[in-house]
Amino acid sequence: MTTSLADHLRTLPDESLAALLQLRPDLVVPVPADVSALAIRAQSRVSVARALDGLDQFTLQILDAARLTRDPEGGGTSVEAILAMATAGAHPPAPTTIRGAVNRLRALFLLYGPEHDLQVVGGVDEVSPYPAGLGRPAAELDPRAAAVCTDPAKLRRTLLSAPPSARAILDRLAAGPPVGTVPPGALDAPASGAEDVLPPDLVNGGAPTGSPIRWLVEHRLLVRMSGAKGGGTVELPREVALLLRRDSGPLGPLRSAPPVVASPPREAKSVDSAGAGQTMEVVRHTEALLDSLAVEPAPVLRSGGVGVRDLRRMARNLGLDDGSAALLFEVAYAAGLAGELDLTGSSSARYGGDQQILPTAGYEVWRAASLAQRWEQLARAWLTMTRQAGLVGQRDDRDRPITVLSAEAERASAPTVRRAVLDVLADLAPAAAPTPEEVLELLDWRAPRRARGREAAHREVLAEAAQLGVTGLGALTSYGRLLLTEMAEADERADDPLGLRSDAESGEPSTAVRALDALLPAPVDHFLLQADLTVVVPGPPDPALAGELDVVAEHESAGGASVHRVTTASIRRALDAGYSADDLHSLFRRRSRTPVPQGLTYLVDDVARKHGGLRVGSAGGYVRSDDEALLTEVLADKRLEPLAFRRLAPTVLVTPYLVQRMLTALRDAGYAPVPEDATGSAVLARPRTRRAPARMPATRTVDPLAAPRLPLPRLLGVVEQIRRGDAAARAARRAPAVVRGGAARTGPAPAHSHSDALAVLQQAVRDKALVWVGYVDAHGATASRLVRPVSIGAGYLRAEDERTEMLHTFALHRITAAVRED
Amino acid sequence: MSGGPLIVQSDKTLLLEIDHPDAQACRMAIAPFAELERSPEHVHTYRLTPLGLWNARAAGHDAEGVVDTLIKYSRYPVPHALLVDVAETMDRYGRLQLANDPAHGLVLRALDRMVLIEVAKSKKLAGMLGPKLDDDTIQVHPSERGRLKQALLKLGWPAEDLAGYVDGEAHQIDLAEAGKDGGKPWTLRSYQREAVEAFWAGGSGVVVLPCGAGKTLVGAAAMAEAKATTLILVTNTVAGRQWKRELIARTSLTEAEIGEYSGERKEIRPVTIATYQVLTSRKGGAFTHLDLFGARDWGLVIYDEVHLLPAPIFRFTADLQARRRLGLTATLVREDGREGDVFSLIGPKRYDAPWKDIEQQGWIAPAECTEVRVTLTDAERLSYATAEAEERYRMAATARTKLPVVRALVDRHPDEQVLVIGGYIDQLHQLGEYLDAPIVQGSTTNKERERLFDAFRSGEVKTLVISKVGNFSIDLPEAAVAIQVSGTFGSRQEEAQRLGRVLRPKADGRQAHFYTVVSRDTIDTEYAAHRQRFLAEQGYAYTIVDADDVLGPKLPSVD
Repeated sequence: MTTSLADHLRTLPDESLAALLQLRPDLVVPVPADVSALAIRAQSRVSVARALDGLDQFTLQILDAARLTRDPEGGGTSVEAILAMATAGAHPPAPTTIRGAVNRLRALFLLYGPEHDLQVVGGVDEVSPYPAGLGRPAAELDPRAAAVCTDPAKLRRTLLSAPPSARAILDRLAAGPPVGTVPPGALDAPASGAEDVLPPDLVNGGAPTGSPIRWLVEHRLLVRMSGAKGGGTVELPREVALLLRRDSGPLGPLRSAPPVVASPPREAKSVDSAGAGQTMEVVRHTEALLDSLAVEPAPVLRSGGVGVRDLRRMARNLGLDDGSAALLFEVAYAAGLAGELDLTGSSSARYGGDQQILPTAGYEVWRAASLAQRWEQLARAWLTMTRQAGLVGQRDDRDRPITVLSAEAERASAPTVRRAVLDVLADLAPAAAPTPEEVLELLDWRAPRRARGREAAHREVLAEAAQLGVTGLGALTSYGRLLLTEMAEADERADDPLGLRSDAESGEPSTAVRALDALLPAPVDHFLLQADLTVVVPGPPDPALAGELDVVAEHESAGGASVHRVTTASIRRALDAGYSADDLHSLFRRRSRTPVPQGLTYLVDDVARKHGGLRVGSAGGYVRSDDEALLTEVLADKRLEPLAFRRLAPTVLVTPYLVQRMLTALRDAGYAPVPEDATGSAVLARPRTRRAPARMPATRTVDPLAAPRLPLPRLLGVVEQIRRGDAAARAARRAPAVVRGGAARTGPAPAHSHSDALAVLQQAVRDKALVWVGYVDAHGATASRLVRPVSIGAGYLRAEDERTEMLHTFALHRITAAVRED
Repeated sequence: MSGGPLIVQSDKTLLLEIDHPDAQACRMAIAPFAELERSPEHVHTYRLTPLGLWNARAAGHDAEGVVDTLIKYSRYPVPHALLVDVAETMDRYGRLQLANDPAHGLVLRALDRMVLIEVAKSKKLAGMLGPKLDDDTIQVHPSERGRLKQALLKLGWPAEDLAGYVDGEAHQIDLAEAGKDGGKPWTLRSYQREAVEAFWAGGSGVVVLPCGAGKTLVGAAAMAEAKATTLILVTNTVAGRQWKRELIARTSLTEAEIGEYSGERKEIRPVTIATYQVLTSRKGGAFTHLDLFGARDWGLVIYDEVHLLPAPIFRFTADLQARRRLGLTATLVREDGREGDVFSLIGPKRYDAPWKDIEQQGWIAPAECTEVRVTLTDAERLSYATAEAEERYRMAATARTKLPVVRALVDRHPDEQVLVIGGYIDQLHQLGEYLDAPIVQGSTTNKERERLFDAFRSGEVKTLVISKVGNFSIDLPEAAVAIQVSGTFGSRQEEAQRLGRVLRPKADGRQAHFYTVVSRDTIDTEYAAHRQRFLAEQGYAYTIVDADDVLGPKLPSVD
């Protein structure tokens, strides 16, 4: 049938072919050589699977109908047959929807041909072996089962007599897939003596038959396919399944429209409000996370990623659970806010590698942006990052925990999965809030083949979207919707390499940012002061205010507003940072909307009064004396000016210079100082005799000029070495010009062609003779080697180099010349 | 952005800006589920706690309503995660119910089977649960009702107690609002009436009212509602006598109906007032006075100053779960952090009013708080600087320099009744001599105390020096000035109680004054700051003055 699809494609006008390629772009990678190649590729398993992946549940069911209604001989079906089968159930869908599905399939060339003779492309059967979850006809499986199925009345009777447990198995297999695995031993005959325990089987003459599966196999309702003794798989014959499906129709329940969301919609305003609240949280938490990274960078493990312990620590600091912290960490990394730093010359005994995760320079830029812009950067990073943060904390195949930022959490499909889930929300009415189950159901309907096995990932996406504030109260927020639209538009612009239509680089905030900005509180530049010394900032503080509060007050509670408390310690910190008491008073007066409480004024004055009551400094040495006049004289002495004495107290002078220098200078100036040690007792110094460090006395040494002693083995070794070198030199000298490649350019003999070389080599293999081989090495340079060929085969020459005693392999097409050694 | 008065913080505190026009409405809306933590002058802080949310749930508020209220009044968007958390927490209350089954007696019934399975597996409940009656019901030993509630609260699945209460032995008690024995007619204040109604509707629970707001009357009204024999637990004998006096004056009870059960007398009458001390006294390791709880079929048990309830009483209370319990206190803050036990054993908070609000209604004397800073003499500073760490506070608090300042303060208020409160006996004696005032301390006999208090009330004694015994439950309504010279380190509770001494409403509505004399630049200042924080959070702004201003001539412009 390959030819027929190819023929069919050949007859198509160009536009139709282009439409096919548009729908199945994978067909042009690489561009097929001709229509036959295109047809072969369009029927290949991979391409068909891709085409099927994008189809919704109903279209797939219609495709199944087409497959089931195929004429077993000619392989063709018709629209009428499909309609007949699809409307056989209890709730038949409208024929127009069925025709729509058929047309979609024909557009994809999964079905082709005229309406009365539709063909199903070959790859479909390979991709999904069981159409509509039905097994093969009994005749193909087992003659005895076929015999049972030929008598519908008897088949029905047997079915009705099946014990409930056996019936449950049948119903499950009938819903599809029709193949089940049998636990080992389930098909064995019941052990003798167990007859009393097991229920009697009326069909089987009263004797119990053991497990329900054994009952089914015994009664030929299931066919045992394969497998080791006692286990294996069983398949439900198509006829039995069709009988079981007589209520719902042969295709099972058909859903021509996506499932309807039953959950009541939220108020759009509360959705946006809850989401916006969450965005503030996310931005705040991210900032806290990165700040904590700045204080204590997280070491990178040797196996990649950041250790569980470090993640826990950060989660605890943030007051989040590990999973949320891991998500924020991944997002911050993906947004370029955190990055690795190589530890140069690190000799520390840390268990990690020699890299640390730190906030990047981009973090500063991010921090200066508005709340909404900061959120947008995070949300975009989340939408596009190929990481599945939900895997962090789980275990990989080797049962090792997956750590944050490690390679194990990398999933190339992550952005697509996110997009699919959010698209489901985006396609619903604004503020519709489906439950996670409903979202999964919708995803399952839209692309069942893609959604299968990704339920956990889908749930994660929903949870993460809620955490990041993309959704609120389970519904997509208005700014989240705008962000998705913008990103989709940006994707479309990606095929505009010259940027002709681009307006993205204008520096204007995006519409999503503007929408979110309208929801977020505006920064405030004042606070409320209270008598319990708390400072309440009724909104997000502007950067200047935040900087001031960081210094003068302790942070107590954060969120929409922030609460700080002024304490003795915080005032002291402010004084240390260079504020004076007056600065603080004016700061509080200027910023506060409420009168400054008297207690605060007192606190500032009290702390300021005591601040600096003790002074600490360092000096190289001091001079003290009970004689104040003497010290005054020293201070006034012009000769001692270089010592830069400073009077600390009437009886103490200090100098930045070391004691020894001061002593010398004082003595030179005619004073009589006595040095003191740390406890205050005088240090007496007597001149010391200077000595060089101790040395070893001379001993007998080896005469360097005496002739070396040469024992026999060493001599022999030297000789061999010389001979080898000689042989090498000779060999190098004697490579013929043809082989060396130089002759090929100058000489008239390009005729010494590849085939000649091959003949020479073949002869040399037979003669076991030495041959000079010239070849082009991996770098494109010509080289030559004297070898003894061993064999030629599969495009390779294998030859022995006697000099290096190694076996070499040469690709024949690279050999330029070969000359017998003579 | 609705521009509402409320700001919801991510650490589950709510900031209420009280100058906002909607502040009052918002306060009413959030009061059922949020606990007032601080009420300074501009921004009140409420906190969402599991206990508070469960209290609200017990009162019939649902999560949806709480979330709506938060969103409605919030100035800024409320984080989604917080809303989810609130809803989930509230949802935990009442999944389990304690109920009376006609056939099996007390049972634990689950509205959510999984919770019951989870709870039944817990080791903490071992021995409290009886046999499983069906999938949703487990029998409970009646004696374990209190302990089970305690344990379930710890597990985070507080049970709703629907098992009801015994009526107890009936005894006619009425409020004598018409005035008794020629007394003036009076009526219950509105908030007292509300408190009693809230309590009675809930069955058991705690009423939080500030000192001087008439908690005794709330107790009396509750008794009149119960009309049953009542056991009243108080902190000390003097407080017990006050209860007795008040009950005789304000209800139909006569002296013969009220018994006193204390170290001195052991009377058991229809209404019996017992002290915590006598109940927790042990002889040979055993509590000898426990019989009191079983002595009569009490219909109501009143716990005065519930925040001071000693740990053993909790244990007895766990056995009293079938009786109505009323807790009275000025603050739920317990220095030992056992607020959860109060919730599960005595009951949820039924009524709460911030002090300032009650003051604005005129039921408490307005108070002016002043901190007087005394500069120590150089000699005192030197001996303070070299003192051992544990001696330092005593040195600073009992500095002699304080004496003239106290005298000056007393002289400032020549026409008022002044209490001087201190923690160190030596200092009190010095003060007593210096001011020529009588002293009430721990060793003063009850009789002598009564005499001195009576003399003070009648105005015979103008100035009274009292030790720590004055911290609790003495009713000296005429005291308008309190001067605190030393305290128990940084106890916030003590500060509140002492302020309470002067907050009793005055006959002529005079202003009350509360002075704290502290030594500058010592640990005394730090402790003082700590204690005052509590009052500042209650909205009492402190004024700080220098001792020199007090001692020197009065400036013409002051006041």
